[in-house]
Amino acid sequence: MPPRSVPREDRLFYFSLVPFAYIIIAALLLLALSITWKALPALEAYGIDLFLRNVWAPREDSPGDYGLLAAIYGTLVSAFIAVVLALPLSVSLAIAVEELAPKPLRGAIAFLNDVAAGFPTIAFGLWGVEYLVPFLRDYVMRPLYSSIGFLPTFSCEPLSGASLLAAGTLLAFMVTPFMTALIREAYASVPFHLREAAASVSSAWYQEVLLVLGMIKPAIVAALLLGYGRAAGETVAVSLVVGNSFNVSLCLFAPSYTVSALIANQFGNATYYPLMPEVLFAGGVFLFVIGLVINWMGVRMIERVRWVG
Amino acid sequence: MAEVRALLDILFKGCVLLIAFLALVPVLHLTLAAIVNGGPVIASAGLKFFTEVPPPPGNRTYGILTSLIGTIELALLSTLVGVPISFMAAVLVVEFPHSRLGRIVRLLSRTLLELPTILIGMFVFTIIVVPLGSPSILAASIALALVMLPYVTTYIETALSSVPRTYREAGLALGMTKARVAFTIVVPIAVRGVVTGILVGLAKAMGETAPLLFTLGRARTSLNVDPLGPGDAIPLLIYDYAQAPYENLREVAWGATLVLITLFLLVYVLARLTIRGVRV
Repeated sequence: MPPRSVPREDRLFYFSLVPFAYIIIAALLLLALSITWKALPALEAYGIDLFLRNVWAPREDSPGDYGLLAAIYGTLVSAFIAVVLALPLSVSLAIAVEELAPKPLRGAIAFLNDVAAGFPTIAFGLWGVEYLVPFLRDYVMRPLYSSIGFLPTFSCEPLSGASLLAAGTLLAFMVTPFMTALIREAYASVPFHLREAAASVSSAWYQEVLLVLGMIKPAIVAALLLGYGRAAGETVAVSLVVGNSFNVSLCLFAPSYTVSALIANQFGNATYYPLMPEVLFAGGVFLFVIGLVINWMGVRMIERVRWVG
Repeated sequence: MAEVRALLDILFKGCVLLIAFLALVPVLHLTLAAIVNGGPVIASAGLKFFTEVPPPPGNRTYGILTSLIGTIELALLSTLVGVPISFMAAVLVVEFPHSRLGRIVRLLSRTLLELPTILIGMFVFTIIVVPLGSPSILAASIALALVMLPYVTTYIETALSSVPRTYREAGLALGMTKARVAFTIVVPIAVRGVVTGILVGLAKAMGETAPLLFTLGRARTSLNVDPLGPGDAIPLLIYDYAQAPYENLREVAWGATLVLITLFLLVYVLARLTIRGVRV
């Protein structure tokens, strides 16, 4: 509320804007409350086991037995694969745009990157099913399985190719443009005198670049966090390539599930099964909490990139 | 030593360029795949691709009329619902930056940015679809408006706050009220940024699938434009047909993807063109 010294007309102006602000606040509050409220019966019925067990046994006549562990595991692991793969991609792309690309090309690449960041995710999904999954199966999973299949992560025979690895790789491509934009912005914000300082203690270009990357480390961590949050919440593209089966396995080639894919597949018909909607809402609470915590940490990290002097 | 460093330099440069190129390959390949796979489908169906409803499985005819109309209607309705709220909220954040409400809205619109959109689908299902009794175009529009809200608010807010203080002070010095300063000085100066924000939000909402899964219904074989009735949308059609075991439905999916990408790029390029020109 504006202080009393503010003229009356300006106070009226303020109050005429207030309802719109309240709509945004109400939307987020209502969303959090309604999803938590709907999840409560499931939390009461299964307790913490709901998140720690891997079962999916729906029944039509009585509450079935549910545990979200497979989907939670799949969500966390696929998002982890995504950011691990996306980190080198986005850092390289940021350096290429800021340092290496010829001036006239820079704008074009930056535009392409912005377009890619907002690209319809379903297009990535269809592309993933038709091209990425078969490619990964034939040229990555099968060779790895037959050569170093003794490692637990590569120890199962790839069947259709839809798997945690496929989901993680597709997510990596989807979050790379977003992470690149964050890193590029920080890279470009390094003041000239700090660039000069880096150049003066470096005897080669690569050392200078590494020094500058060191200066923007908080922004890179923020990009990792926000990229992870995005990957963990992505729905349709993942559900097309993750395999949709309740597996908790170290093997990256096995079909798996994610929380959002589970909701996308089961929520539509869930009302036929007692407690299943509530269980899926509990999955929603999990996504909400992860999204909120990671986003908050990421935004705080970005704020740590400040230049003094 | 100097040779070693020069060699390392070239090696580093090569790696960076190679990986950077790799990062851009997927989106380029995907666009190319949509043209190669979707182009012939649209070409062979001709105008009928846009004027006929989707075919039954196994048939050799193609059409996406219902989802095309649905996507356009959803885009218009969600803009109508979302943009006024975003605009007014952004004005509050920028013109009253020290009010508690302004700070809260600023924080919340940034928090909502990364909220998984499937949650918005579940939310709208709970508070609108269930009370109304069935999915509808209106419910889906509200879901998409919620998706747009944080984007558009943040964009407009950035655009408005880029207008230098001196312009506001000049207006206030003439005895204008804050409201007149905001609407006759600040907004007109920042209008291109505001339009860009709206278009970027629109592009984002148009490509979304997850918020529509439980809110829109799938009125695919007969056209309905009544907002209270069920509808269809291109992303939803692609999602369903990508999982269908029928060759012809997958072909329709590729054709639809080409249409969706084209629509998306049109809006995006439009946003890009408006951003040019004004430098304050």
